[in-house]
Amino acid sequence: MVAVLVRTALRGLQSSAVTSVAAAGTIAIALVLVGAFALIAGNMQGLLQRFGEELQVVAYLESDIDAAAAQQMVERVATVEGVQEVEWVSPERALERLRESLGGGGLLEGLEENPLPASLEITLAPSHRTPEGIAILVEAVDGLPGVDELAHGQDWVEGYSRVLVLVRSAAVGLGGVLALAALLIVANTIRLAVYAREDELAILSLVGASRTFVRVPFLLEGTLQGAVGGLVALGLLYAAFIMLVPEVQYGLELFLGSQQPRFFAVGEAAWLVAAGAGLGMCGSGAAMLGWRA
Amino acid sequence: MRGSGRRATHAGGESPIRLYHVSKSYLAGSFALHDVSLEIRKGEFVFLTGPSGAGKTTLLKLLFAAERPSEGQILVRGRNVGRLRESAVPALRRRIGVVFQDFKLLPRRTVEENVRVALDVTGTPPREARAKVFQMLKQVGLQHRRFHHPLSLSGGEQQRVALARALVNEPEILLADEPTGNLDPELTLEIMDLVVGASTRGTTVIVATHDMGLVERYGKRTIRLEGGRMGEDLQ
Ligand SMILES: Nc1ncnc2c1ncn2[C@@H]1O[C@H](COP(=O)(O)OP(=O)(O)OP(=O)(O)O)[C@@H](O)[C@H]1O
Ligand SMILES: [Mg+2]
Repeated sequence: MVAVLVRTALRGLQSSAVTSVAAAGTIAIALVLVGAFALIAGNMQGLLQRFGEELQVVAYLESDIDAAAAQQMVERVATVEGVQEVEWVSPERALERLRESLGGGGLLEGLEENPLPASLEITLAPSHRTPEGIAILVEAVDGLPGVDELAHGQDWVEGYSRVLVLVRSAAVGLGGVLALAALLIVANTIRLAVYAREDELAILSLVGASRTFVRVPFLLEGTLQGAVGGLVALGLLYAAFIMLVPEVQYGLELFLGSQQPRFFAVGEAAWLVAAGAGLGMCGSGAAMLGWRA
Repeated sequence: MRGSGRRATHAGGESPIRLYHVSKSYLAGSFALHDVSLEIRKGEFVFLTGPSGAGKTTLLKLLFAAERPSEGQILVRGRNVGRLRESAVPALRRRIGVVFQDFKLLPRRTVEENVRVALDVTGTPPREARAKVFQMLKQVGLQHRRFHHPLSLSGGEQQRVALARALVNEPEILLADEPTGNLDPELTLEIMDLVVGASTRGTTVIVATHDMGLVERYGKRTIRLEGGRMGEDLQ
């Protein structure tokens, strides 16, 4: 029985090749758009995470703070919500770091006095590496006596995460709209296939075919068309990915830093194909709703 | 359990087709069938005649539940088909073979596949189905044509394929709506002989036709419809 249903479905695909290709193509186009957005959002999110790992807030201290007072401040700041680690950097240590970074040249030799201030380097716990987390920290530390100036990437993080939220909701919203549009088009395409085979359906019903026997091949056809559409979308996205990435490599480096642009993992790719199959099945299901013997 | 089921079937089996005051109205105010009552016994061969629009096709459609009666009761094999649930219709149709003037074959499938459809829908195992189809095609004299497509066959051959499809399930009832309407006299006899043959093997047969020559030639029971009403019923 199963073999007969599958055979009927394959035969159906063959006999309505044009509509089958149209349905698969529609699904492919919709999934290419959704997939492209997902790729962009995914890569931006990766960047934000990496950025967050390096994120430190630096509080520069006034010059009259000695080591003991600084130690007290360290303890105080460590109690602020979301703070993972606080490190005191003395003026001497700061100068040393500067020397190291300048490569030990004589540029700093003539200095009579260390011009660098002491500072606290504050690292946030991963869960607080957000605009809100930074805001809490800034508020708690900014007014402390002895703190001269705060350096933080709050604006940057805020702007970036706002873009990320935008891209992500655009991907979800657009994905939803596209999926719905694809569903309607696929349903209509498959309905055409149903009309085109109305004679066949009438004959099946005449010889006593059950509803299931008539419908299952169409559902299988739709699912198969959808899966093919998903595979095509995946192929197109991958081709675009490997062709476009080298072209824009320089710009990407500015944007992503050392992070390599990433394509879908196997599991994610499987989801894309499954989404296509699901779309195709729902589409043919919707098309069959309108039909009765 | 089995015994009582048998008896019920047997009671219906004596007269597998019974109509009581059946009317069918497609459009309010006009009747395609009006107050038709009749009984057809098991293995009987019946011609259904009458002028165009008399309601012959309508009556056949009611029997295989392609249409529902507006009034009255229709018992087919003891079951009230006017009140049959949608899901019970396929089971009814597997017990009834139907052929039409225009054959209704699948043009893209071979002769063999066209006949096989009737077995596929019942879930008959492939090996058994293939054997039955071959036997059936042999019976209608088309075994050598089994890999051809219907459109490459003559009208008479196509109708034989349709008959093979209708009979391959060994149905209790065969309904034929103008089965020879598209065929010349020689092919008409060829088809009619096959249909009569089915009835001699116990199948109850109704042939709708307005070919009076045919009716006279075979001298079988003839039910005449006129304007949707029962006319003569000649044994
Ligand atoms: N689906 C339908 N909708 C509306 N009216 C219909 C429908 N089918 C049949 N009729 C009407 O019902 C009446 C009986 O039609 P039917 O097809 O049963 O006649 P018939 O005896 O088979 O005629 P013919 O010899 O031409 O095939 C006719 O008046 C026809 O117009
Ligand atoms: Mg008719």
